[in-house]
This record gives sequence, structure tokens and C-alpha cells, in this order.
Amino acid sequence: MSSHALGAVAVSTETPAPTPVAARAQNLNKTYGSGDTQVRALDGVSADFARGEFTAIMGPSGSGKSTLMHCLAGLDSATSGSVMIGETELTTLSDKQMTQLRRDRIGFVFQAFNLVPTLTALENITLPLDIAGRKADPSWLDNVLTRLGLKDRLDHRPSELSGGQQQRVACARALAGQPEIIFGDEPTGNLDSRSSGEVLAILRAAVDEFGQTVVIVTHDPRAASYADRVVFLADGHIVDELRDPTAETVLDRMKRLDTVDTVSVDGQG
Amino acid sequence: MSSPMRKVSLRNLAAHKVRLALTVLSVVLGTAFVAGSFVFTDTLQKTFDGLFADAAKGVDVRVSGLEKGSSGVPLSELPKLEAVDGVRAVVPAVDGPIVLLGADKKPLQSGGAPSIGLSYTPPEQALGDPDVMVAGAPPAAPGQIALNEGAARKAGLAVGDRTQVLVPTSGVIDVTVSGIYQTPSDSGGFVGAQFDGAQARELFTDGSHVDYVDVAGTGVSQSELRDRVAAALPDLKVDTGDQVREDVKAEVNSALSFMNYFLLAFGAIALLVGTFIIYNTFSMIVAQRLRELALLRAIGASRKQVGRSVVLEALIVGLLGSALGIAAGVGLAYGLRAMLNGFDVGLPSGPLQLEPRTVIVALLVGVLVTVVSAYAPARRAAKVPPVAAMREEFSSTGDSLRVRTLVGAIAAVVGGALLLVGSRGTGGGAATTVGLGAAALIVAVLLAAPALSRPVVGALGAVFAKPFGPVGRLARTNAVRNPRRTAATAFALTLGLMLVSVIGVFGASAKESVNSLVDNGVRADYILAGPDSMGVPLGAAAAVEEVPGVADAVELHGVAVKIDDEEQFGTALSGQLDGVLDYTLEEGSAELVGTNMLVSRTTATEKGWRIGTPVVLTDRDGEQVTTNVTGIYADSQLLGKWMVPESVYEQVTPAAVRAVWAVLIEAQPGADLAAMRGDLAAATDKFLVVQVKDREEFKGSQGKQIDTLLAVLYGLLALAIVIAILGIINTLALSVVERRREIGMLRAVGMQRPQVRRTIYLESVLIAVFGAAVGVLLGVAFGWGFVSTLADEGLDVIAVPWGQVVAMLLGSAVVGVLAALWPAARAARTKPLEAIAGV
Repeated sequence: MSSHALGAVAVSTETPAPTPVAARAQNLNKTYGSGDTQVRALDGVSADFARGEFTAIMGPSGSGKSTLMHCLAGLDSATSGSVMIGETELTTLSDKQMTQLRRDRIGFVFQAFNLVPTLTALENITLPLDIAGRKADPSWLDNVLTRLGLKDRLDHRPSELSGGQQQRVACARALAGQPEIIFGDEPTGNLDSRSSGEVLAILRAAVDEFGQTVVIVTHDPRAASYADRVVFLADGHIVDELRDPTAETVLDRMKRLDTVDTVSVDGQG
Repeated sequence: MSSPMRKVSLRNLAAHKVRLALTVLSVVLGTAFVAGSFVFTDTLQKTFDGLFADAAKGVDVRVSGLEKGSSGVPLSELPKLEAVDGVRAVVPAVDGPIVLLGADKKPLQSGGAPSIGLSYTPPEQALGDPDVMVAGAPPAAPGQIALNEGAARKAGLAVGDRTQVLVPTSGVIDVTVSGIYQTPSDSGGFVGAQFDGAQARELFTDGSHVDYVDVAGTGVSQSELRDRVAAALPDLKVDTGDQVREDVKAEVNSALSFMNYFLLAFGAIALLVGTFIIYNTFSMIVAQRLRELALLRAIGASRKQVGRSVVLEALIVGLLGSALGIAAGVGLAYGLRAMLNGFDVGLPSGPLQLEPRTVIVALLVGVLVTVVSAYAPARRAAKVPPVAAMREEFSSTGDSLRVRTLVGAIAAVVGGALLLVGSRGTGGGAATTVGLGAAALIVAVLLAAPALSRPVVGALGAVFAKPFGPVGRLARTNAVRNPRRTAATAFALTLGLMLVSVIGVFGASAKESVNSLVDNGVRADYILAGPDSMGVPLGAAAAVEEVPGVADAVELHGVAVKIDDEEQFGTALSGQLDGVLDYTLEEGSAELVGTNMLVSRTTATEKGWRIGTPVVLTDRDGEQVTTNVTGIYADSQLLGKWMVPESVYEQVTPAAVRAVWAVLIEAQPGADLAAMRGDLAAATDKFLVVQVKDREEFKGSQGKQIDTLLAVLYGLLALAIVIAILGIINTLALSVVERRREIGMLRAVGMQRPQVRRTIYLESVLIAVFGAAVGVLLGVAFGWGFVSTLADEGLDVIAVPWGQVVAMLLGSAVVGVLAALWPAARAARTKPLEAIAGV
């Protein structure tokens, strides 16, 4: 179904020349509503996300962490500022180009798994590729499926899988197309601690073994501890940054942000 | 009901306006038809009542022949009538069918309205209000006519214009328009040409009889006058004017009530189809609101309250839909009348009648159907466990399909068996068996359709969706995701197309049967035909006998007599069978002369007639003619039960009612048929309405009548199809809302908008084609079954309109795409962020 030839040269399905930065936000603003009820979700955020790195975005509810990720991933548009994926400026793309970019260059892992209930695990995994009319690289796919321990679950439907298994399928779906960058929106928000561990280990391995770039939003310090780098947001600003975090150092920083509902149940930010 | 629950219901309706509109629309369409048929027939009835009160106005007593179709009242009795004490005026009814030529020299079409010639009644003799001359003068001499305003306007004729009138029994007459009059019965295409008394009598009577005589009295009651007249004329039927008006009214009413039932039947079909949509909508609404309902339960609402809140929603939808439906019904009736007037069917015009009964019935039906449809979903809603509010995904899988599929399978076997058994017989009993089988099969499909949808849609998907790759696969799996919903959505289309197919099979079989009848039975090279109302004018046959190359021209008449005190219909021929009709003589001779009678094998066996058996024919006036059976032929639809020569026909049929069905023309061997055709047309030109047809054209003209009838039925059934389409729109729109998250995810992982739309189109096409295929299959089977039982009625060839079947299946695919247009556009607008947004 890739017959819709893309008009703009800006977006190419071919992997561009490697640059150290996989995604970049520059002076990003995002406001909701107007007048008195106006909410400034992002207030001049600038950040780089290095290729081959695992980054976690953290912050209390309403800090703008999810909005930042949505803008980076092309799911939402910023009010002003610029977003780059590789060499591509997102803010000027049409819906069609944006969709194609998401399809070919970005992978997603959602909090609620978001698998298609009527398709088998394998069909779900290859869905983005199928939509694009591309064939999965068989050795790559085999590699991913083996690494994620899904080989004996491929014919199952989502309803026949546990939450952890469903999220592993979702990870495989994100990895199958060898995207430039994988975004995770609270990928462990709906999982017990054991399954969370599995999924985070997979994302870690995607960076270490497959050379992928991963950016997740989370409120769980343990999840953040799997990352190479943690970016802290509060009130729409980047307020802090931590390299090689541990659960303790993350929790420590969070406390210092001095917000009451640090460990809010609300995963939406 | 507690007010907070009511608030939830109301808010819920208000929050989903599109959903509300679609549900209401399905109720509107059903009730509109019910209300529309009532309004239409009430209006007609009211106008007709007024018309007939006018028409027989001033008539105190009517004298007529003892039986319908008899010679009527002898004119020689008139002096006796005039001599009866208390009689003020005596007006013999003198009228007959005519064709009037317009200013353009073409026959004036009256549509379904009467086109008659009648005798002018001077005002002093008029029984009721006399007709008013608005221009010119009444006809005073032979060759003058007065026309009613409507006819004069349509014909483009004014006072002083010369034109022609065709009287079937007398030929073409030159006339001058002497005057134009106004009449209360001037409706639609009515043509009423008044002649002066003497000429009217010459043209429309046999010179000695009239159909009936109206009498007005003075200083005496109707019943008294009736008794006096009856005493004076003991051999004739005498009724009071009131009785006459009652009889006419009753006749009109029974004709109208047939029309009413006919229209109501379509209203019922529309409502039935609507029921499925309403049911489906409420089921889906409940499914989507499970969490909300569970929340209400969790905070303390009782099962009853939750159930009631759903029923309340249904009640509001039902009331709103019915109220709008009544308004739409009035519009429908108005449109229907305008359309019929456009065709000049001859309907009188009057104000539309909206009776309280119409409002009550439409409201009751609309509300009841809606509430009943919502009852099952409401029960399901009440059963939602409170914990469902807490669960992330609460899927109500519903009860297993096994029981209903099993019952459906049993019903299918029973229905199929009944259908087969019934189709082997003929007549009413067999038709009833087929009907029962059909009903059982419909129930079977209704029950088993969900289980059936998986394999069938799967198979259809392999054909339709395969070329679309992953988009097609998604569409296919979506189409069977909820088999109950798919089945209920498709069932509306199934019902509609089932009926269309049954009618299609009937129509095709009827046409085929007529064709084979003509092919196998008619040998004539050309056939003369006239309008249904008058047949071929007398004299046309004699005129074409003179045409070079014509070997024989045989007139066909219908004969109605009593044999052994039983009404019998046969055929009379003015010539011999050979050359114009095919037949197989089994005994005796085929010669039709003198008092010969030819009978079919079955009639001979039934009556115990043999060659030489004398048969007494009694006509309507009680006169008897004895014929002798001289030949027995093999049964044939075309020849009928028995045949007599024209001489016998003339003895048993009053001159005023003689008519020619058709004239069959045999060419001499080696005649130039093409040249002959022109000669025939020229020879019959003066008869204005005669058409020359070869066998193919004759078949075509018969088929055309069937097509016209079918077109009316299809037009009415279109409503059911429209409702079915709305149902598909409704289901898809709600499904799209339900799958917002999933569609958002597909958009997030890179599905383009056109791909999203295509997925919905395909899903819709699969559902529609599934419904259509099942409907067509059932319809063809039922049609076959019913037609089989009608072999004795002339439908001896069963034909399936394959072209139509293919067109319906392709059409259903188109319908699927059309129904999906809006839901697909909505789906394509889904933002990728919806994948993340909370439910």
C-alpha cells in the first residue's frame, strides 16, 4: 500500500546519513485552550536525543512530559518551535507525510498495548510493515522474535495472551520495521513488576544489542533506571537531567522537584 | 423513575446527537409509511364520498337490469315509468367508452380515469345540480358535443373546434365542440363528451335498452316511490337513491381498503426492517456505555433503574421518531398523490385528511416498536456487574451462539422441507405450505445468521478483500468481529432484497410464461390490439381483410355465460383456429360454425362432456342457446376452457357490451410481411387506437405491463432498502466510535487516511454483500416455490432473473460503499492521539 508516492523530498524512507542526534526539540511551545483557561503544557523546551541512547522523560502530572513525547513522535503538533527526527523537520509536514514518517521511521509502544484484537500476534507485529506494503527482513524479524521469546505465541490472539506477553508483542511491532527511534508512552504503566522488568529489559536490549534509539515517558523511577539518561520536566520546562541513573538517584531528584504528586497514578502527565 | 436516572438518560441522548438522529430516522421511515398510507387513503375516501354524494344527487330511485352485464332496462318500459304516480323526472343512463382526438389529432390519454361519451341532460330534467355551461351551448344536434373543462383544456379544444371521437361499437365520428361545461366529477384525466340525446342513444345503446334509469320523485318518499315503481316494473331491479349511494360508497371503500392494506403491508415491512436497526443501535449503545452503566450500578443504582433508563431513552426516541414520522407521512401522501396525478390516474383532489386514528396508530406503532426493540439491550444493561466499571476492558461476549444456531438449523431443515413439499403441488394449500416454509427459513436465517456470518463473510472476504492486502484483512476481521451485530445489520438488507427477489422471480416467470404461450400458441403473423378499456374497435377486422396478402383476420371475444347455473368464461372466434392459433385436436373436428363448441380435455373430463353432448348457455338476460360439443382439444392456456363461434357470442352478449380482445391476422403464404405491415397500419389508421404488432412486439407489450406493475412494487420496497442502508450507516458509525482507540493506533503506526477509509468501505461492502447474498438466495428460493404452486394459473415457466440477481449483488456492494462514506470519513479524521486518550 505504499503506492502513494510522496511528493516532498524531505521525507525519505531510506535511512539518512547517521547523525549523533536522533530527535531534537527546539524552543517547543504547546498551549491548550485560550484566554483565562489557557494551559501552557510546553514552555520553550529544547532537548536532543542522541542516537543509540535510551532516554527516559520524567516529571509530575501536568509537567508536559507526555506532550513532549507526542510532539517528538509526530502524534501531536506543537504550537511553535521545531521538532526534528533525524534531518526531517516535522512541523512543516502534511498529515500524509507525517503518517508516512511515523510508519517508516518511528516505532511505538503504548501503555494500553493497543493491539488489534482480531489479528494474531504475528499479524499485529507485521501490521505497520503490511500497511506500508513492505516485507519484513526475515532474519531481523526472526532475531527480534527469538530475543523477545514470542516464537511459540505467534498464532495467538491478544485476548489469549497475558499483559506482559501483549506488551512484548507491542515491542516486537515497534522493532520489526527497524525504525530510527522508538517511543514508549508509559510502556510499563499497565504491567506488574515482573512483566515490567521483562519489557524494560527488552527496550534496553534494543539499544544495546540492536543499536536502536529509545525514548520513553514514565513516572516509575525503576523504569527510568533502565535508561542511559533521564530528563526531568516540570511546568513545561526541562528542569533537570541525570546520566546513568539508578532507581535511588531518580527518586532523589524527583523529591527535589518538590511536587506533591510525584508518584501520581495518573499516567497521562 | 428517579429524576437523576432520567437526567442521565436525557443527557446521554443529548450528548450523542448523531447517534440519536440515525436511530430516530429509522423510526421516522417506518412510521411515515404507516401514517402516509392512512392519510392517502383517508383523503381519497373523503373525496370519493363527496363525489358520489354529488354524482347520484337527486336520484330517488334507480331502475336497472336484474343482473350486472344484462341488457339493462328496455326503453319501451320508459312510458310505464313516467306514468307512475309521483315521478317528476326520468333520466335513462346512456353512456359508453370513447376516445377523443385532441387538437393535435392524437388520442387524448385519460390515464386511469374514465373517458366516456354520454347523453346531455337539460337542466329542467336534471335530478341533482345541473352541469353548468361555462362556454358555448349544449349539444343541440348530432355531431355536436359539450366537453368537460378538464378534458377541453388537455385536448386544447375550444368552442367551435372540429375534431373526431372514436366509439368502439360505431367507429369514428366527426364532431364540433358546441360547449364546455363544469362538473363536480372533473378529476384527473376524466373525459366526458356530452352528445345530444338522440345521437347518444344511437351510439351507446342497442337502440332498445339502457344500463339503468334514474328517477326523481315529487311529494313522495324514496321508499314509497321505489315500491310504486317496483309494482309497475316487476321484471327489473329497483333501488332507492340512498341504497344506490351506499352501494357505490361500499364498492369504493372496499377498493380503497385494498389499497390501504397494500400500503400498510409496505409500512409493516419498513417497520420490521427498522426494528432490527433500532435493536442493533440500542445494543451497541448499551455495549459502549457498559462502563458508565456499571458506574451507575456501583454508586447504587438498582438494576431496574439502569434498565429503565435505557427504556426511557427508547421511549423518547420512539416518540420523537413517530411524531416526525407522522409529519413525513403527510408529506409522503402528498407526494404520492402528486405523482399519481402526474400520471393522470384520475384521482379527485381534495384537502389531505389527517384523522386522529392515523396519529394514534402511528405513535403507538412507533413507540412500541422502539421500546420492544430496546427491551433486550435494556435487560442486558441491567445485568452489567458493578465491577465492570473498574475493569480496563469489559467485553460482554454475550451468550454462546450455539443454542440459537442449533434452533436455526432445525428451522432451516423444517422450512426447506416445507418449501420443497409445497412446491411440488399447486393451488392454495401448496402455496400456504410454501409460505410456512418461507417463514421458517426466515426465522432460521435470523437465528443462524451470526454463526453463518463468519464462514460466509470469510469466503466473501477472500474474493472482495484479498486484493486489498492488509487493509482487506483488517476489514474482513472487523466484519466478523461481532457476528451478532453483523448479522442484525445485514438482516435488514436481507429482508429487503428477499422481497425484491421474490417479486423479481414472479415477474420473470410471468413474462417467460406469456412468451412461451405466444411462442407455442400463436401462429398469427400480426395482431391488432387496442387499449385495455375498449379493446379493438368493431370493424377493424373487416377493414384489414381487404389488405393485400391477408389470408384471414379473426376476432377474439371473451364470452361470459352460465352453464349449469355456474358462471363460465370462454372464448369466441369470428373465424377458424387454423392459421392463427396452434392447437392439438384430440377428438372430433376443430370447425367453429353454427352452434359448434370446442372444449378442452380437462373441461370435458370434469363436466363429463363427449362429442355430441348438448350444452346449454344461459346469458345474463336469461335467454338460452344450445350448443353441441364438436371437438375436444388438449389443454392450452391460450385457448381456455371452451370456444364457440361468433354467432353464438352475438346471441348471448348484448350489443352494448360486445368487445374485441384482439384481431389475429394470418398472411397468405409468400406474402411480403414487411410491406403488409404498412398496409395494415394504413387500413386501421381511422380506428385511431389500433396498434399493429408482430408476435415479438405482442410479447413485449405484455411484458411491459408486468414491468410497470413490478416498478410500483420495487418503488415501495425501495423504502425498506433505504432503511437497511441507514442501518449499515448506523452500525458503522457506532463501530467507528467504538474502535476510536484502535483506529488511533493504526494512524499512529502509520496507516494513511485513505487506507483507514478503505478499511471501512470494505467492511461495509462485506456486510452488505453478505446480507444481499442471503436475501437473494432466500428470495429466489421462495419465488421458485411460490411460482411452482401457480402452474395451473398460467405461470407454467419458472424463470430466475439472473441479470437482476447479479445487479442486486453488485448494487449491494455499491450500497455498502455509499453507506460507509460518512462513517469512513469520520474514522479517517481520528487523530493518532486517540490511541492514547482514555476511554
